[in-house]
Amino acid sequence: MDLVQLQRQFVDYRTSLYHEGFLDEQFTQLQELQDENNPDFVVEVVSLFFEDSERLLNELARALEQQSIDYKRIDAHVHQLKGSSSSIGAQRVQKVCIAFRNYCEEQNVEGCLKCLQQVRHEYSLVKTKLESLFQLEQQILTAGGSIPM
Amino acid sequence: MLIEFDFHQCNIDGNQTLSTYANSSFSSRKKHVWYKQPVDNQTGKLYGEPVRSHSFNVVNTSWFQVALNHSSGYSSLENGWNNGGEPLFLTSVSLLGKGVIAMGVPVKRLTDRLGGINLYGGSLSLITMDGKLLLNGIPNTKFIYVNGTIFLQFMWPNGVKNFPCSNDTPETYKVDTDGKEYNVRCSTVEISGVQSVYALALPHEGIASFVYSKINYSHIALVVTMVLLVIPLVFFVSSMITNAQREICLHDKLIKQMEATQQAERKSMNKSLALVGASHDIRAALAGITGFIDLCLANAAPGSDFETYLKQMSLCAQDLLGLLNSILDTSKIEAGMMNLEEQEFNLADLIEHVVDLYHPVGMIKGVDVVLDPCDGSIIKLSQAKGDRGKLKQILSNILSNAVKFTVEGHVCVRAWVGKHDFETEILASTRKGLGKYVPRLFSDKNEGNGDVKAESAVRQNRDLVEIVFEVDDTGKGIPKEKQKSVFENYVQVKETAAGQVGTGLGLGIVQSLVHLMGGEIGIVDKEFGEKGTCFRFTVFLTACETQGAAMYGGTNSSFAIRNSSPKLGIRTPSPNLDGSQVVLFMRNIERRRVSQKFLESLGISVLVVDHCHHFPSALKKIQSKLNSLLNSSRRSDMSCRSDISSSSSKEMPLSAMEGTEHKLPFNRRKDTPSFNLLVIDVNAESFSELWRTVAEFRRGLHSTCCKVIWLDKPTSPCIDPKRLDSRDEILLQPFHGSRLHRVIKLLSEFGNLSQGISSSSESSKHPYGKTRLRHTQGNDEIQGYVSSSNERYSKQGSSSPTLERTRGRLKSKRKNKDGAESSNGEKPLIGKRILIAEDNKMLSILAITTATQLGADVEHCENGNEALELVCDGLKAQRNYDYILMDCQMLPMNGYEATRRIRIEEERYGVRIPIIALTAHTSGTEAMEAGMDAHLNKPLKTNELMEVIESIETKE
Repeated sequence: MDLVQLQRQFVDYRTSLYHEGFLDEQFTQLQELQDENNPDFVVEVVSLFFEDSERLLNELARALEQQSIDYKRIDAHVHQLKGSSSSIGAQRVQKVCIAFRNYCEEQNVEGCLKCLQQVRHEYSLVKTKLESLFQLEQQILTAGGSIPM
Repeated sequence: MLIEFDFHQCNIDGNQTLSTYANSSFSSRKKHVWYKQPVDNQTGKLYGEPVRSHSFNVVNTSWFQVALNHSSGYSSLENGWNNGGEPLFLTSVSLLGKGVIAMGVPVKRLTDRLGGINLYGGSLSLITMDGKLLLNGIPNTKFIYVNGTIFLQFMWPNGVKNFPCSNDTPETYKVDTDGKEYNVRCSTVEISGVQSVYALALPHEGIASFVYSKINYSHIALVVTMVLLVIPLVFFVSSMITNAQREICLHDKLIKQMEATQQAERKSMNKSLALVGASHDIRAALAGITGFIDLCLANAAPGSDFETYLKQMSLCAQDLLGLLNSILDTSKIEAGMMNLEEQEFNLADLIEHVVDLYHPVGMIKGVDVVLDPCDGSIIKLSQAKGDRGKLKQILSNILSNAVKFTVEGHVCVRAWVGKHDFETEILASTRKGLGKYVPRLFSDKNEGNGDVKAESAVRQNRDLVEIVFEVDDTGKGIPKEKQKSVFENYVQVKETAAGQVGTGLGLGIVQSLVHLMGGEIGIVDKEFGEKGTCFRFTVFLTACETQGAAMYGGTNSSFAIRNSSPKLGIRTPSPNLDGSQVVLFMRNIERRRVSQKFLESLGISVLVVDHCHHFPSALKKIQSKLNSLLNSSRRSDMSCRSDISSSSSKEMPLSAMEGTEHKLPFNRRKDTPSFNLLVIDVNAESFSELWRTVAEFRRGLHSTCCKVIWLDKPTSPCIDPKRLDSRDEILLQPFHGSRLHRVIKLLSEFGNLSQGISSSSESSKHPYGKTRLRHTQGNDEIQGYVSSSNERYSKQGSSSPTLERTRGRLKSKRKNKDGAESSNGEKPLIGKRILIAEDNKMLSILAITTATQLGADVEHCENGNEALELVCDGLKAQRNYDYILMDCQMLPMNGYEATRRIRIEEERYGVRIPIIALTAHTSGTEAMEAGMDAHLNKPLKTNELMEVIESIETKE
């Protein structure tokens, strides 16, 4: 594929991600933190986020399955998830986490379950989006181009 | 020899006791003279004259001699002296051997007495030892005297038998005579000194048989008594037994019943528990389903069938959730676990919100959901305290039912503050004394305790107000006989509910909730021929004193919320009153009626147009009227409103106003131009047509101000905003509640001044941007309203925050660039040692990278303990950290605790390391309290970090 076209596609895709609210300026910050010394910083952090999130989501699901739900624990998990999602700028996940915490405070199982679904959904969305973004990035790099900022 | 002889004898002769005596002064040779004299029976004294009697030859008788010789008296049986010598028992005593006193008792008397005794078939015989028979009562017997012994001889035809009788001891013999057995008893007896023998023959069975016969009687009597005793006893016992049996039976039943009850209760408990458990599980599953549907929806191609189906599924899931909630509510109510959660809220907003929720639902079906402000008392009430959620639930439920079951027409929601003003009532009653009060209480008792309770509860709190709601629809209605039962759980009116889903729990819950709030719910009878149902319910809420924020904050207008006037509509005309003319052109009858009524209650003159044909003509009429009035008013001063209204109504040919209700009381002052407001429902006619008419109307007006409010459907907007005049506004349906109030505020009487309009028209250059009205007052509210419900047209209202946000972003970007430049150039934190305590790996990497990029020398640890250790080591080695970035929520030791400890450790070395908290919370008060110097929100941002560090540096 044409490199220019690829680069344009990459830029379009990234702006669409910002536009649709998947990412916010925190992700920009993240990208700014990446430099020659640390060329894979974004990918590293994001994959850490994936690991972290998947673990948290699993734990949340398990916690919500319990007969007597430990809301404190759930709150802590959600708090963590919120922190990590905000760190990479996964805005939508973060927003759902806020709602999740509210339900958690109300001890609303139903709301929590719903939020868990939503968080999962948002997480999987942002994951696929980010993965495809990285894929595009990779393609550009393999094609010998530079990542447009 | 002279024998002095004195003889004195008494005897009883017949019935008279006589004393016979002879003078003894004579010698015995001589004849004695005898006298008789009667003796008193009682005293024994002689009375009467002694009578000379013939003489008796007494001296020569043996007894006389014997008696004379005996010193101690002598008794014998002798023949008497008179009446033929009747035998006498004679007792004689000698008197010094010279005389004898004798007393005689006739034998006959004794025998008569003895013979008179009833011996029950027995008989008695008496004989003296001398052999003188006194009485012979025993038949066929005689006494014989043999050798000084007396025998009783029985004589039978076949022989004779003797029984000795003169023994001193009594002897008894058994004798058979004439087939009868007799007991014969013989013994001696002394009768007045005379030895005699008696024989008493008694029939053997005589007395016994008598006794026997008496025994029989007594037996009978005994038996009868016994029987009489036994019968009640038996009766008593039997009744006791039956009672006992019954009691046992009852006990048995009671026990069974109790067991059954307990079982039922247990079952019910189990059921509720199961229900709760099941609902929990179902909710979980349902949440999963909705979540997955949402997931699918996100991936579905927009506009595809797949998406529609998914949306349907989502709706179904929502419905299911609703049903589940209603069932859960029921069980909660049954368990008595439902409690009111009181909070302050704006009642008018709540009602409008609920109505607005169902308006689109109704619009889809072609049913208009109208909010009738009634007398405006709800608006006046403003803030109220009560269970907002439950009230909303009640209202939503009834309203959704109404919308569900209405196919055409409208649903009208009315709400007003109940007429029942308890405060004044109590005041009145206390003034007049209790007398008035008591009968009220009694009459209430008949109506049911609930009322009394509620009322007493109400009396306890004088701030409580009764709010009456009515939801009136034009649906199928509920048959009269079913009206009572609709409030029962699980009841649905099948005839009308066909094709509608539901558990039939809704109204039951509603009723319970209404009761919980101290109110009543019922169905109001509609006039015959009117369609539909009208639910009315009341709830009690606490009125909150608000700071009197005037809704229609006109300076001269009395239309304030805490208006003392009972009706909103009573308006004191302000001196600069400018009678505005409002033209309502709406298709829906009910909405038109409600809006008109409300506007008129405020004293606004309203012209209502119900048909599109009449619209142009009505406008023309107004135009001509206005122009002519303008001219005429220049000529003559006609300030009196009523005069004008009457005259104008006379002037106006009604025939020309077909279909329009004539409400044109023009209130005009000479020089002030009238303000016209046209409220036009675009759905009534095609927009272009309407627009043309309005434009024409505008052209025709000279100096009067005219403003048009276009009502548009939220679902399918058909207004072309480009064609609108700059002064016009677009409102989305439903036209009620706050939107209606907003329109009212446009009128000059209610706060809008004419220069306000002109300025607004000047200021709003953008055709959309005119929503921000330049009101002198109430501006904020309208803005708030605009931004909340009319986002499409409220660019300006909501744009300011976004602008600010973008500006903020720009600023941050600029800063970022600065930071980047500086990092490229000098790296501000170069040579600084920073400790980062953060347990989240990702966040720590982020923080480390950020700090490293800034040139800092970074160390990392994962919790408070480690941080403390590292700090202590540093202190000891005199290699202190320059900054510590501390996460607050870490395990096992959190950031606050670590900070506190670090502060203690530091003290000994006389240093203070700046600690910056990393929190996810916006407020850093806790961090500050723990002794941290600053706090940053996660995630860590370069510029923020730099700002904080800079501020710390400057502080130092």
